Amino acid sequence: MSQDGLDPVIHAPARLRIVVTLAALHEGDDLSFTKLQELIGLTPGNLITHLRKLEDAGYVNTEKNGSGATARTSVALTHDGRAALDRYTAALRQLLDSVGQQ
Amino acid sequence: MNEHIGTAGGPGMDEAAGLDDGTPMRAADAAVIMQDAGQKARQQLQVSHRVTFTVWGLALLLGYGAMWLGVRGQHPFHGPDPAAFATVTLLAVAAAIATVAGNRADSGVGGLSAARRRIHFVAVLAGLAAMFALEGALARTGASRAVFGVFEASAPILVAGLFYLTTSAVWLDWPLSGLGIWLLAVAAVGGFAGPAGVWAVDALAAGLAYLLMAAIEPWVRRL
Repeated sequence: MSQDGLDPVIHAPARLRIVVTLAALHEGDDLSFTKLQELIGLTPGNLITHLRKLEDAGYVNTEKNGSGATARTSVALTHDGRAALDRYTAALRQLLDSVGQQ
Repeated sequence: MNEHIGTAGGPGMDEAAGLDDGTPMRAADAAVIMQDAGQKARQQLQVSHRVTFTVWGLALLLGYGAMWLGVRGQHPFHGPDPAAFATVTLLAVAAAIATVAGNRADSGVGGLSAARRRIHFVAVLAGLAAMFALEGALARTGASRAVFGVFEASAPILVAGLFYLTTSAVWLDWPLSGLGIWLLAVAAVGGFAGPAGVWAVDALAAGLAYLLMAAIEPWVRRL
């Protein structure tokens, strides 16, 4: 955790987009890798790199189903990821409020 | 609002910068990204029923309206002609295709929502199959054309009403539950208008309800 209380794993443009996008899903839902890539606008390689960092932190879960042409990789936000985003949002709001008061 | 947070000077963000592309991100930038990404995701992932409601509303007004024009004033009542039935069937197929196209917004979304959609699809098919089976049973018992007239107009509305009511229970969608209850009421009461009048009552009461839902949907979703 940074001194500002902002989670460094989330506090990066691409990963913030990924986490916020996945948080828009209903609990228990997941998003295909292709659709996530379309929404975020990253190359597959970059997206994989960021997803791996989020997965290492336990914030997202990726799962590959099927094989060959029917293979589908799905990505979902974990409970920890949702909680981390809530904490991040609260810390960010607090930070913006404190700056606004100065 | 242009303050840097967690920039290269902050211990946490040194790490964060290394994890990302090295570009420091300001708090204001983060807030903008959150707003943009959240808005885009909601727009692209959440299904809007507006097109579906409009198409079904028009299909009911035109299809049931055509049926009513075909059967009004029949003495004795002998039911709609095959051409009117074909028109209604074509409109229903077109509306179903539009519904599927409208639901493309959540393509790519899996998990519980996808499972719910599949169950609902099966429920509609089962409801329609049961409706046709019941119609067969009515024919077997020698029901009159007048009974068929009421059944053929009301039963699909009944199935649709139950569909929306169960869907609203799953998603806690109150406007949808309102539509479901209204359609059930239309199906229950419309038949009292008789085998010819039921088509006109259902066309107006159900068709306009769909169009009203289409009109208020964007406003309701913002609440």
